[in-house]
Amino acid sequence: MMMLKLAFRNILRNRRRTLLTVLSMAGGYLLVSVQLSVTEGSYDQVLDFYTRDTTGHVQVTVDGFVETPTLYKAFRLTGDLQRAIDTVPGVQASAPRIESSALGYGDTRSFPVSVRGVDPEREAALSYLADKVSAGRYLTSEPDGQGYAGVMIGAQVARQLSLDVGEELILVSQGADGSLANDLYRVQGILGQPGDAEERWVVMPLAAAQAFFVLPGEVHRLVILGADYRSAPRLAERIGEVLPGQELSASPWQTVAREFHETMTADKEGGMITLYVIVFLVCIGVLNTVLMSVLERTGEFGVLKAIGTSPARLFWLIVLETLLLAVIACLLGGLVALPINLWFTLQGIALAEPMDISGIVFSHYRGQMSAYVFGFPMLVILIAAALIALMPGIRAARIVPVDAMRTL
Amino acid sequence: MSSVIETRDVSKHYGEGDTLVKALDRVSLGIAPGEFTAIVGPSGSGKSTLLQLMGGLDNPTHGQVHLANKDITQMSGRELSDFRRDHIGFIFQAYNLIPVLTAAENCEYIMLLQGVPEAERRERVYAMLERVGLAGREGRFPHQLSGGQQQRVAVARAMVSRPDIILADEPTANLDSQTGSDLLDMMHDLNRNEGMTFVFSTHDPMIMERASRLIRLKDGCIDSESEREA
Ligand SMILES: Nc1ncnc2c1ncn2[C@@H]1O[C@H](COP(=O)(O)OP(=O)(O)OP(=O)(O)O)[C@@H](O)[C@H]1O
Ligand SMILES: [Mg+2]
Repeated sequence: MMMLKLAFRNILRNRRRTLLTVLSMAGGYLLVSVQLSVTEGSYDQVLDFYTRDTTGHVQVTVDGFVETPTLYKAFRLTGDLQRAIDTVPGVQASAPRIESSALGYGDTRSFPVSVRGVDPEREAALSYLADKVSAGRYLTSEPDGQGYAGVMIGAQVARQLSLDVGEELILVSQGADGSLANDLYRVQGILGQPGDAEERWVVMPLAAAQAFFVLPGEVHRLVILGADYRSAPRLAERIGEVLPGQELSASPWQTVAREFHETMTADKEGGMITLYVIVFLVCIGVLNTVLMSVLERTGEFGVLKAIGTSPARLFWLIVLETLLLAVIACLLGGLVALPINLWFTLQGIALAEPMDISGIVFSHYRGQMSAYVFGFPMLVILIAAALIALMPGIRAARIVPVDAMRTL
Repeated sequence: MSSVIETRDVSKHYGEGDTLVKALDRVSLGIAPGEFTAIVGPSGSGKSTLLQLMGGLDNPTHGQVHLANKDITQMSGRELSDFRRDHIGFIFQAYNLIPVLTAAENCEYIMLLQGVPEAERRERVYAMLERVGLAGREGRFPHQLSGGQQQRVAVARAMVSRPDIILADEPTANLDSQTGSDLLDMMHDLNRNEGMTFVFSTHDPMIMERASRLIRLKDGCIDSESEREA
């Protein structure tokens, strides 16, 4: 208690310097916290969107399919398996997909396309596919009056093959049994605009795709959505436990989209570097003041030591003083960061130009309010403060009383 | 009677070669319990140096300093600080109170390091501050006290932790003669009534008058010594 009192009164001695030190540390805290809030908020938005849009949170596939997808690595999705997965705690939605490629023919030209077989209802509940229809209608499971299955095509497919809603598309490919696959489809809808990720897609009902590729009752992926993209690895583990073993596995999106995940992580870490530079600069300033305050009090430390203060206790006094400054700075910084982060979270900054990703519009940079956003900068500042105090603390601890007191 | 402090052949040299200063040269000296000793001598004769070595504030170039049957020159920094805390009280010419602690807290500080329980600390501090004539000023900070009052706090601080000996380096040099005389009477009292051992370094005739033993230093050596009944 006495040491705390001593430390507290010591930092109140030179109020101007203390104020400057606290303000610079609080400024460091503020910058780190706000930047973290905006970064986390934006990545959150992007990752949440990306996983819903493409990979889902977890995928059940044949072992090795996520690394090297091929037509042949399909598995039988029975009603029992579907139910077992849907009842795993945390699973909110699931949808089967078939993926392969084919050559598309319009009236006169051909164009290579990427074929997707989906369950229209389940897919609509899981991804943004239904929101991307720019012309025509969303997919229906039932064939039309003439027995043709309906498809939705990407904007580039429509342009290259000069196809419009209501017209016919012919697909040619190879079935899983090695046979030649070809069939006629009715264009029911157009997806997005040229340039979108879906521009070369042809999306058809699951049953139609199973028939086309000769994969009766089989699928390539069962895409699963949980509560939150962050908890995907845990969800994948839980799902893994209900799989009938053998050759199926449940992979979180971090594995499915490994490259994307790594790019995002590296990008985020790159952004952190500026923060560490800021913290480093603040530290140098603070180190300077702490050193100065120790140097000024050399004589006093000599006296403290002469009357029996141990070197270790003197060291802790300096560390305590610096930590006290850091705690005050964090509280102050947190007080200012709170409304700013809240504003970013609720309001956000409008992007100069709203970003349109396949028909889904991002208009604002958003912040995030979380323990991490406030706690992490605090941890950084406190650790930095403890490191800063190290050198001056050792210096004070090593003082020889006579030499020190000569400076009085 | 055995000594509280004993120096054996203690030397302290500063510099080297042409600039070598022998601040102390082979000084052997014992201080018995209850003494009120004054070390005198011209400026630069080594008085302060001798007190610093006796109190373990610095290490001698040669020789040993024994306190409570231990050679303090062999101790580590940590042992030495504990030793100073428990066995030695210091009074300095410039008072050297801790500016951010009140009179009472300055006195309490050492006992806190010693681990004396809070209630006992309070009691001893208040009794001691009353003893040095500072009752009612316990809560004042050093800058709110006169020089004489600050030095009284310093005496109380040195006394209250119950050391074996108090080492005082020119404690009256910054005080006017009346204040210095009062302070000396007070320390003399503590010496006679409570048996506290004092060693002074001084130029002050008032101290020499009251001293039970006078040690004269010259060029780092003991020049002469005299004893008298107080
Ligand atoms: N740190 C030091 N470096 C070099 N020489 C020193 C140092 N400290 C003391 N001395 C020298 O040692 C000698 C003894 O000094 P000391 O302070 O003990 O004298 P003193 O008797 O206390 O003098 P005064 O009465 O002026 O206080 C002096 O010649 C002084 O110059
Ligand atoms: Mg001196």
